[in-house]
Amino acid sequence: MMTEAELIEIMGQLQHEVLRRWIDHGWVRPELVDGAAQFDASDVARVRLICELHYELRIEEDSLPVMLSLMDQLYSVRQSMRKLLSAVEAQPEDVRKRIATLMQTQTRS
Amino acid sequence: MTDPYQILGVTRDAKQAEIRKAYIRLAKSNHPDLHPGDKGAEARFKEIAAAYDIVGDEKKRARFDSGEIDASGAERQKPPEREFYREHAEGHPGFKYEPFSNGSGGGFEDSDLFTELFGRRGQRASAPGADVHYTLGVDFTEAVLGAKKRVTMADGKTLDITIPAGLMDGQILRLRGQGQPGHGGGEPGDVLVEIHINPHPVFTRDGNDIRSTLPVTLAEALAGAKLKVATVSGQVQLTIPKGSNTGTVLRLRGKGVKSRSGHGDHFVQLQVMLPKHPDAELTKAVADWEARHPYDPRAAKEGSA
Repeated sequence: MMTEAELIEIMGQLQHEVLRRWIDHGWVRPELVDGAAQFDASDVARVRLICELHYELRIEEDSLPVMLSLMDQLYSVRQSMRKLLSAVEAQPEDVRKRIATLMQTQTRS
Repeated sequence: MTDPYQILGVTRDAKQAEIRKAYIRLAKSNHPDLHPGDKGAEARFKEIAAAYDIVGDEKKRARFDSGEIDASGAERQKPPEREFYREHAEGHPGFKYEPFSNGSGGGFEDSDLFTELFGRRGQRASAPGADVHYTLGVDFTEAVLGAKKRVTMADGKTLDITIPAGLMDGQILRLRGQGQPGHGGGEPGDVLVEIHINPHPVFTRDGNDIRSTLPVTLAEALAGAKLKVATVSGQVQLTIPKGSNTGTVLRLRGKGVKSRSGHGDHFVQLQVMLPKHPDAELTKAVADWEARHPYDPRAAKEGSA
């Protein structure tokens, strides 16, 4: 866990009011402990990514929510896909083969 | 490390702004956090960042151009291994930044695609019917020649089952759609019939070949004979050559199983039989003969004393 001040210090270009704005938009969602934001490792990594996209790769703040939303959906889909795959993997061989065959025929059509 | 200009796809005399543009374009399209399924993205992204670290800075670029530093020398001054966002977002069920969840968990599984498949409250929208398993005993010749069987299932339904010629013991016939009905528009299940072949008193199966044993008399074995033998497709005449012995195998070509995998033969193994109650006349005749023509049937066999 990290406080807002500690986070600002390691991020370089990031300023307090910009971080506050990102939190207000819900792009970063730190835990509030006695009214003070506490950033866990995933929050820190997310702030680092947003900084990189914005300051390094020059993605406008207006475009960031679109990008973050698509990215979050992508990770969520991958997560569910992984669950589905392990459920498929737990099936007997003939069921797995049937699924594989069906997926192939759907790709062709 | 390869040439940083090459990595960024710019010429050696490119302007700083041009280099920066090339870097931003490449970094965006290779950022590992935006390409979680691409294993090579992280390596490419790091290479691009390292290249830009040298030629993106005018002073460093000049030192590189003059040969003062090389690409790998500069690389060693890079900060230690960085952490990417995807290491947090990947593989953590209930990750806090998952969309669709509205803070109550669920994630993508509550989204349209999965709801369609499994239903919102975990109940199945539709499910295929269960398969029904059944064991059917068939006669040896039915399995060899093929047959049609009518069976009554546990639920009173009758099924006509076609036994294809050449079926093997333990094989399973699948009758599609004849099992339990599906739920909510799901496909019905199948009936799976496991075939058990009843043994035959004379014939045995060896793939597509049939084997049987034929008892012959001493005289038939010695002098030869023409005998009628049973095959799966009826009686045929078999010529026993002169001087046949127990264990002699004769082939009836094409008289085996005619299945989709080919046609087999029928092999007849001879067994020379003494009469049930050999009398003194036979015993004496053979013993007299053997006294004059001694022979040792065990001579060539290894291991016999």
